[in-house]
Amino acid sequence: MIARIWQAGSAAMLALASPAQVEPTLPPPYSGAYQPQGIDEQGLWREMDEEERRFAQSDMLIRDQALQAYVTRVLCDTVGQDRCGATRVYIVRVPMFNATMSPNGLMQVYSGLLLRVRSEAELGAVLGHEFGHFESRHSLQQLKARRSGSDVLAWTAMLGALAPSYDTLRTYRNLELTIIGSIFRFGRDQEREADSLGIGYLNTSALRPQAAAQVWERLMGEFEADALAKGLKKPRFDRIPFYATHPPEAERAATLALLARPDAAARDDGAERYRAALAPWLPQLLDDQIKLNDFGASEYIIQTLAQDGWTAPLHHARGELHRMRGAPRDLVNAAQFYAQAVALDPLHAEAHRGLGLSLLKTGQTVSGQAALRTYLALKPDAPDAKLIGMMIPKEVPAP
Amino acid sequence: MRGIFQAVVAAAVLLQASALPVFAQERSAVRQGFTLAPQSGKTILLLRPSVRVGEQSTAGMPEPRAEWTDQARNHIETALGEVQQQLGNVVVAAPEPFGDDARSVAEHMALFAAVSRAVIQYQFFVGNRLPTKKRDNKAGQLDWSLGPTVASLPGAGGADYALFLYTDDHYGSTGRKMLQIVGMVAGVGVTSGQHIGYAGLVDLKTGDLLWLNADFQMGGDVREADGAQKRVRQLLEDFPGSAIPKDDTPKQAAP
Repeated sequence: MIARIWQAGSAAMLALASPAQVEPTLPPPYSGAYQPQGIDEQGLWREMDEEERRFAQSDMLIRDQALQAYVTRVLCDTVGQDRCGATRVYIVRVPMFNATMSPNGLMQVYSGLLLRVRSEAELGAVLGHEFGHFESRHSLQQLKARRSGSDVLAWTAMLGALAPSYDTLRTYRNLELTIIGSIFRFGRDQEREADSLGIGYLNTSALRPQAAAQVWERLMGEFEADALAKGLKKPRFDRIPFYATHPPEAERAATLALLARPDAAARDDGAERYRAALAPWLPQLLDDQIKLNDFGASEYIIQTLAQDGWTAPLHHARGELHRMRGAPRDLVNAAQFYAQAVALDPLHAEAHRGLGLSLLKTGQTVSGQAALRTYLALKPDAPDAKLIGMMIPKEVPAP
Repeated sequence: MRGIFQAVVAAAVLLQASALPVFAQERSAVRQGFTLAPQSGKTILLLRPSVRVGEQSTAGMPEPRAEWTDQARNHIETALGEVQQQLGNVVVAAPEPFGDDARSVAEHMALFAAVSRAVIQYQFFVGNRLPTKKRDNKAGQLDWSLGPTVASLPGAGGADYALFLYTDDHYGSTGRKMLQIVGMVAGVGVTSGQHIGYAGLVDLKTGDLLWLNADFQMGGDVREADGAQKRVRQLLEDFPGSAIPKDDTPKQAAP
């Protein structure tokens, strides 16, 4: 198995070297509803079934039927109606770029992923990748790889203990590095396989497969912006660290761009529909992101979202981001962003609140209190109404 | 040299061991002032027991096993029905919840797991006692609670207490046993199998934890009817007011 995956990996490498010969990938024929086979797989599925029982009741889930149905529909549009019946999609409120797939068909989509993709085709690219893990039963192969690797290590250690010498110890250490390294490399090759499956689904769907590479390009942009804001070294996207679980982003973007069907470039990527479906959730997703305290990444996300035009929620989020960092210069900027939000949507209560607080902190008491009054007038039953009321003289709302 | 190597091997083998601290001694505690007279006719609500049975690979990695887990769940439920009489109380299984109820049950199960882990870690290990549990008036007392929201659990209205059960078993594979035997020759201690279980009783009016029994080396092969009965007896033997005789046979399960 390892050898086969390795060959596939080498083939992918060769393919990278000669782009002209690359054929766009297509998914394998669908084999129908799959049931686990063998004790390892049945055990994995059984354990995940029990886990799903608990997970389905978790408070981390976003229980919005419309959003859930929409994300499921994007998955089905990508992998096909017959395939997607094998999965259950759960949207988890975690502000990070991720989605996971369990061996029994439980798919977790993190809210941070929804914030970072811009179209149905981009979302489908990530969901298709995860579905590829499921269809190729990668968890099972990973379990087997880890088990045989650790078995070999345990026996080598034990036999080494029977003939102890510095040479044996050194040999054992070398073997340990080799095996751990090969388990991680095996995992990375699985990711490559899932990438090629994911783009295969997109190629056969009605969505634009070129979007897959965009996801990674934008993510690299975010990492760079984050590193820049934190004063860190520019991240390298072409290196494979020893413990890396995934191939480097640059490789993924390049491979996905190559494997996408060129004649499908003119297809619709569903960006309009995606924006409309996500609009009710955008303020909360942005709020969760801002609270991560990653100024560079959050600013990058807001800026890329604003490429389609600035809206009141985006101006407001930018104001929040600056006000949260809270340096005097940030507060001046924040007041300006809130004012832009208010100009676009005079009924945006939270923008009035942010504007008032920022103005108060920069010494503009009268205009600040006026903004807070507007906030309370727009939202008299706000949870912080009493607190805000204390900042406005003689206008403390009755308790 | 040999010593160094043995240390390395022991580290390599133990690396795979469970995240929970392995300690041999069985522990149980009852809340101060709580007594349950035998045959007092109280109703005990049994929440869905958490049962997991797997195999331990040669290197100690847990391998889930569906068939064993299903067998164990059936056997444990049967055994619970049989020992119910000896408990002197009526044990009713909690109804299968849905919607908001299911969310509430899941939350309370997680809360119970967290509280009982804290009790095992910080109460049963005297050296680990938290400062708040160390004061004069708290010494030797079991004073933990899940809070009064337990009263809203489905089925809680008609019951007095809630019983939580948890078992986690990993039976050593053939490879693990072989490694253990060679380990004896090589002078490296290898444990085979892991049998963790705990049971707790919670007052459904106040949420107070009334009794907790934790054992990290349980006996009884839960994959078989007899073994499951022994396991349930061991889990409940210190149950307040129970008439279950103490098991004097050695507790080590089949490795």
